[in-house]
Amino acid sequence: MPTTKVESIKKSIMNKIQKAEDVVFKENFTKEKYLETYYIKSISDEQVLGKYVLKPFFEIQGAELFLDYLQSHPKISTFKTEAQTVESLLRGEAVLFYQDYIFLFDCKVDRNNAVQDTTVETTIQGPQSGFSESLPTNLGLIRHRYPEATLKVESSQVGAISKTKVMLLYDTRFADMDTLGRIKEFLANVKINMFQTGEQLLDSIKKSNRSLFPVMLVTERPDRVAINLSTGKIILLIHGSPFAVVLPTSMKDFMASMADIYQTYWVGRFLQTLRYIGLFVSIVLPGLYVATTSYNPEIYRVQLALSIAGSRNLVPYPSFVEVLLMLFMMEMLTEASIRLPKAIGPTATTVGGLILGQAATEAGLVSNIMIIIVSTVAISNFVVPINAFSFSVRIVKYIVLGLATVFGLVGVGIGFLLFIAYMVKLDSFGQPFLTLIQTKPNKK
Amino acid sequence: MKSAVNWSVAAIIVIGSLLLTGCGFKDIDKRLFVVSIGVDLAKNSSKKYDVHLKLAVPSGSKQQPNEFTIVSEQADSMSDAVRIIKTKVDKEIDFSHAKMILIGEELAKQKGNAGIYYWLARRRDIQLIAWVVVAKPTALDVLKVKPKSEQIPSNSLFLAMGKDGSETPYILPDFLFDFKMRLIERGLDPMLPIVEAKKELFEIKTTSLFNKNHMKLTLNPEETKALNFLLNKEQKSAIWARKGKTRFFIDTQKIRSKYKIYTPKGKPPYIKFDIKIKGIVEETSRKIPNTRLAKYEKEVEKETNKFVKNVLVKIQKSGIDPIGFGLRYRSRHFNENDWEEWQKIYPKIVFKVDTKVKITDTGLIE
Repeated sequence: MPTTKVESIKKSIMNKIQKAEDVVFKENFTKEKYLETYYIKSISDEQVLGKYVLKPFFEIQGAELFLDYLQSHPKISTFKTEAQTVESLLRGEAVLFYQDYIFLFDCKVDRNNAVQDTTVETTIQGPQSGFSESLPTNLGLIRHRYPEATLKVESSQVGAISKTKVMLLYDTRFADMDTLGRIKEFLANVKINMFQTGEQLLDSIKKSNRSLFPVMLVTERPDRVAINLSTGKIILLIHGSPFAVVLPTSMKDFMASMADIYQTYWVGRFLQTLRYIGLFVSIVLPGLYVATTSYNPEIYRVQLALSIAGSRNLVPYPSFVEVLLMLFMMEMLTEASIRLPKAIGPTATTVGGLILGQAATEAGLVSNIMIIIVSTVAISNFVVPINAFSFSVRIVKYIVLGLATVFGLVGVGIGFLLFIAYMVKLDSFGQPFLTLIQTKPNKK
Repeated sequence: MKSAVNWSVAAIIVIGSLLLTGCGFKDIDKRLFVVSIGVDLAKNSSKKYDVHLKLAVPSGSKQQPNEFTIVSEQADSMSDAVRIIKTKVDKEIDFSHAKMILIGEELAKQKGNAGIYYWLARRRDIQLIAWVVVAKPTALDVLKVKPKSEQIPSNSLFLAMGKDGSETPYILPDFLFDFKMRLIERGLDPMLPIVEAKKELFEIKTTSLFNKNHMKLTLNPEETKALNFLLNKEQKSAIWARKGKTRFFIDTQKIRSKYKIYTPKGKPPYIKFDIKIKGIVEETSRKIPNTRLAKYEKEVEKETNKFVKNVLVKIQKSGIDPIGFGLRYRSRHFNENDWEEWQKIYPKIVFKVDTKVKITDTGLIE
């Protein structure tokens, strides 16, 4: 029979957990044995419990033999503190009271462990599956792709209420210890109540320095994670999120698509060049249009100057109002097509892109050239492979546009210079953000 | 506290900079683009010049070609004329696309028009890559011509002058910056192509040569072509020669010329030209066999030597120097009075022309 000490612990644990339909307390008897199990059935796997605890309980004859079984089973751990027991219970472990012992049996249900297809960072070739929403499965996916003895996994918790389990993965050979220290410090100081996904960190790091660009990369691709591990990056896996966070991040990482290494050399280079041109165009083009049409039309050839002048003849507003109007329309369209259900999405694009664009020129609200410019800007913005970065870039073009409106071509130059200067200033956990050629990790 | 100060300083700078606008900002549709500037001598008037600006009127639709208007004003100076013309139009006049400057022939022949020439170079908004030509009979007549193939006003002149369009050895285009340099530089004199207005097209085949202040000599088409050879401007050309009763034409693919000024002691100074021509037989009155091409080459060489030398002598006799012998001499001699020396040498210098012709084939398969 249990001693009074165990009895009091049992009482106190049961008092701490609010009664609910799925909280189960069960007593089991055989001739010589008595076992109590206490668990929450909605997050514990009763089948596993039955298979590894209850079945042996009735099959093993001697009371001592069963105790030996419990003590030697890898999924069963012994009681440490009361608080820890309560926490484990809330995570889906079962508490076993047997003789004078209290055991914790790990029978968590691993839900949402299905591997999902990539939807955000799609590639034509290469692996097509992303992470699942289960932490162990994700860890497994990475270990599968990165079978190295030096891969170190550290666990911790983030979130005052959610107590989300977070795993820190890195290769001890390559990872920079200084950066690792900063990341750990950052994680320890994050103040979030409900931590659900890695993107939240983007926001919480921004609050410290109001960064315009993300300084960590959130990815859904295990292959990207594996590659980054091998270059000394530190990976953050969050329980319940199909996204991993890659730290530290430089601007080059945001411009890299996994497709680059799945292509032949020249194709990869070409695509990368294309992306950088796209980035440049989407930042500078609206500003350049205003600066050239309103300050320096001598830059155009005569033919183009006359055709722009002709198409702007009917437009009543100055060029920067025209650009703002069209850009605003485009931003609305982009936002709308994200929010809309997939089934109506194309309708929005058709209505917005084709009909509005056509009608706006017909009505003399904007010029023909403007439509071309706005669509070029929109399309070249989508060329940036990482979404978080492409959203940030969307903002930069307004700054350049504003400067161009006030200062003309000089403004465009200043704007672009500011953009570069700002990126040079940024750092991601001690690593410079704008390194086009990545510095080799593990300097020493 | 500190950030509040920073923000207010930033706000003041931004608001302050907004006040600075207004002067530069002018939308493209509020500007009238001048495509050509024409200057004539004023007739029946107390004023000196007649200035014409050809303004492009952009059309909204693609079906209509772009129209143009010519606004004229008589004045004693360019500045006056342009200021008055501004009062006649509704939009701001923009010279940034004025790529053609036409000087009326009569005006070019007159002395004392340096004011106009330098006005063009002084204006910031007139691009120095504009072409300068002499217009015949008047600038207005040339401005009025509208060739059928032209979609954008003055574009056919732009194409003729630039290498984008026609390539011909009879046009020696000259940019404004070059014209200005030639007006100032000792030992290099201006030369401008002459554009002649015909009913619906232009004819550009002669060249006018200037001394430092007015037009002095006109070269006929053949002489223009020869000058072209000497200046290495256009490779595609044609030269003709005669051998016996056969008159034949060479279509040139390559023309290279170089010269050197020799001033041997005790002997008269001379300039030696080396011209290398490569081409094929394009037209002939009688059959030329491949095996005897060398003999025909000799004939072409003789013909070219004579012809080029005549042109050089003609230019020398009128005392002008469009090729820049004087400049070359000054660049190779470092004494204080090199320019005075050259002025003594030039009138009596002797030209020696040595042409090497290579006819690669007869153009036919035998």
